[in-house]
Amino acid sequence: MASTIPKARIAFFDFTCCEGCQLAVADALQTHLDLLEAVEIVNFREVMSEKSDDYMIAFVEGSCTRMSDEARLKVIRENAQILVALGACAHIGGVNAIRTGLDIAGVRRYVYGEKAMFFETDSARPIDAVVPVDAYIPGCPIDLDEFVRTVKALLLGRIPILHDYPVCVECKMKENVCLYTIDKTCLGPITRAGCGAICPTFGVGCEGCRGLISNPNIRSLKEVFSENGFDEKTLMEKMKIFLSYQTMESES
Amino acid sequence: MTKTMKEALHSPSIYMPIPAWITNIRPMTKLEKLFTIELPNGMSLNHDPGQFVEVSVFGVGEAPISISSSPSRSDGSFELCVRRVGGLTNALHSLEIGSTIGIRGPFGRGFPIHRFHGKDMLFVPGGLGLAPLRSLIGQVLDERHNFGRIIILYGARHPSEQLFKDELAEWEARDDVELHLTVDRPDDDWKGNVGVITILFPKVQLHARNTVAVTVGPPVMYRFVLAELLAKGIPEGNIWLSLERRMKCGVGKCGHCQIHHIYTCQEGPSFSYAEIKHLKEAL
Amino acid sequence: MNRRGYGEFEMTFKIIPKSVLAEWFDALNRDYRVLGPKPKAGQFIFDEIQTIEDVDLEYPTTILPPKKVLLPTKEVLFSFDANESQFEPQIEAVPVIILGIHTCDMHAIALLDHVFSSGYPDQHYLARRTKTTLISIECLKPCSEHAFCKDTGTLSVTEEFDLHLTDLGEDYAVDIGSEKGELIMANAPGVREAEIDDYQRLETVMSQKWARFPYRLNFDVSELPSLLSVSYDSILWKILGTKCMGCGSCTVVCPTCYCFDVVDEIDFSLETGERIRVWDSCQLNMFATVADGHNFRESHGARVRHRFFRKGKYLASAYGQRGCVGCGRCAQACLAHITPIETFNELYRRQFLTVYEPRGTMP
Repeated sequence: MASTIPKARIAFFDFTCCEGCQLAVADALQTHLDLLEAVEIVNFREVMSEKSDDYMIAFVEGSCTRMSDEARLKVIRENAQILVALGACAHIGGVNAIRTGLDIAGVRRYVYGEKAMFFETDSARPIDAVVPVDAYIPGCPIDLDEFVRTVKALLLGRIPILHDYPVCVECKMKENVCLYTIDKTCLGPITRAGCGAICPTFGVGCEGCRGLISNPNIRSLKEVFSENGFDEKTLMEKMKIFLSYQTMESES
Repeated sequence: MTKTMKEALHSPSIYMPIPAWITNIRPMTKLEKLFTIELPNGMSLNHDPGQFVEVSVFGVGEAPISISSSPSRSDGSFELCVRRVGGLTNALHSLEIGSTIGIRGPFGRGFPIHRFHGKDMLFVPGGLGLAPLRSLIGQVLDERHNFGRIIILYGARHPSEQLFKDELAEWEARDDVELHLTVDRPDDDWKGNVGVITILFPKVQLHARNTVAVTVGPPVMYRFVLAELLAKGIPEGNIWLSLERRMKCGVGKCGHCQIHHIYTCQEGPSFSYAEIKHLKEAL
Repeated sequence: MNRRGYGEFEMTFKIIPKSVLAEWFDALNRDYRVLGPKPKAGQFIFDEIQTIEDVDLEYPTTILPPKKVLLPTKEVLFSFDANESQFEPQIEAVPVIILGIHTCDMHAIALLDHVFSSGYPDQHYLARRTKTTLISIECLKPCSEHAFCKDTGTLSVTEEFDLHLTDLGEDYAVDIGSEKGELIMANAPGVREAEIDDYQRLETVMSQKWARFPYRLNFDVSELPSLLSVSYDSILWKILGTKCMGCGSCTVVCPTCYCFDVVDEIDFSLETGERIRVWDSCQLNMFATVADGHNFRESHGARVRHRFFRKGKYLASAYGQRGCVGCGRCAQACLAHITPIETFNELYRRQFLTVYEPRGTMP
């Protein structure tokens, strides 16, 4: 079966992001030499200078924040057979989407001050708000194993399906002490698993970087917050970091 | 004697399939293909109509698929009619003749065909439901003398979605089979009935007490078809159907196919209506 | 698994002084992987113990039950080479001792034994189970406000134990339940036969114990299956459904939840790989979803109901043993405070409501 599949040409692109997910990919390439043998990388600014527009799989990191991004993203979509959103910014708007619902001109002045007029900026959107996306690798940053699993699935001609259950599942399997029992907050009960509950494992409450599960019970989480001495505002603030765009979408 | 799958299950692991080969692929509709599968060393599947197998595509996973061919026509191989709806079935559709897959089974309880002897048989498949029912219909036709009338009411959404068209034509041509077809949405060439499957019921007169009805189709269809069958006066114990569940392990362990205390993969997927009418999550 | 001859009413036991436990454990550690209750950030987990100092046999409860040893969260079932049509089963089994198992968890293991040895016996579970030695311990005081083992009848050990310990202060009384148990007792230093005096000490400890445990259900547990039967359409499931976040913690920590999913992991050759079993849960979105996307238990409420029915009724119908052993872990793990005690008591209370409440319709 496999021998009939030609080496897949893959490419990486970035929009508004910190490029941390591409660094994570570069990391994965160092520890998975078989990955490098299975694919041919034709475009990856982080690690090489050559460029090509002939690719099968495009991994896009970053959110769409400028009108000019849209045209570039559409070209990538045209060129690629499979488009993958790489990381939280591309998947759900990421931290950039904190500006969701705010006055954009005001945001621009706040960030760039007097030089605001020289910088184009708009609301931050996940890339599937602009073009159809075939697969997602969530997280800030992405999980290396998930990246590797996704590439394998795509090479097999499959679109991997994301887990649709909360981080708590993985956290409990790791036998972590629930952070709520030690006076901390955590968005684990509403956030999509797949990270192996890495933050709670190290004592840090989940911030929701992998996005909401399909049916989050936010009302119940509000009660959990208030019982544990945190108000609704704290929850909303916490959900702003990564979940602004998804929250706005589910409300509209 | 050939080795049967039952013996093969005495393998070191109940979760380990045996290798099998795709020896023929027949496209049926846009979404469905009929695969002919051969087991190694002339092994016979030895299945009952209504049973299913777990099919593996290595690297993708495993899924339950009901057996489409009748035991009486198995001849060292069997057939699976597969709709392309997800990970595993997409992968199956991309395979070619000669590809290796894995098979475990047959699993579950099929239709108790011996209990149907002497009865008039009313088959009511809807859509893909014809795939598992074809296994039983074939067996019944091959021992035609054991049964009374044979009536088949088949509903498909669109003429292009009808399965096993050549066999439908064969059944149509037989004077000992009463076949009624309908489609929800006709095309320009369609001259037959139009409407959901229940419109076919007024067309048949039954001797209800002597009729066994077997229906297989999507969950939404059952509610309406069951109402018709009961209205006709067919006894609840003579109405049989097949329940679809996500039978992940096939061996009554993984829990996915559980309806109340019943493991569909063990006690089903074939049930009489009398058996499941009190199980609230069944339909 | 280990049937013990109770027939001839032979109640002999041995005495092992606590002072020699360290030495005994050093000896056991040479031949076994020894797991016992170990503290973790204020709670306890069953973990590998090197010396007796690691373990606290007076622990209240653990986050995960010992099922994780017999049915790991993730295990390879077999490896495959699709190209060569070759499969290699992975039936792993190293000798393990699980020390300090509470009696509720012993009942749970008895149920798992039943599930995995009946019908199609699960070789992976059974291989591990055969190599596992169970050292249980008598519970002398309630471990949490959520435990209701006195109600569920799980406050006494089942016959699955290899050794059963009862804390007598300076010593443990040791009941030997099997040859496996005899074997490891052979390694124990300073063991002696119990004498009249020891029988009296044991009797005192045992007779004082029962009064410390409260009943927490407002009805006898034998009524639970019929209570659930009449409560299928209760509006309570809807109410619990609005609280439940579908996080699956209850099933992950449950000692009798064993549902699993099976997935493939493949190498970059796209030909060789492994088929893996991972824990799954009826509380999760995809659990009862079939190929065309239809979900047979769409709402949280229907899933909560399924879990409680499974614990209180279904497993008993299928295996003759109740699914809930009263350990209280699910209640402790639930951020939304959905607990078996409150749920069952509330269903019991609602049974007698004179005014008919509107019946919840659940998909």
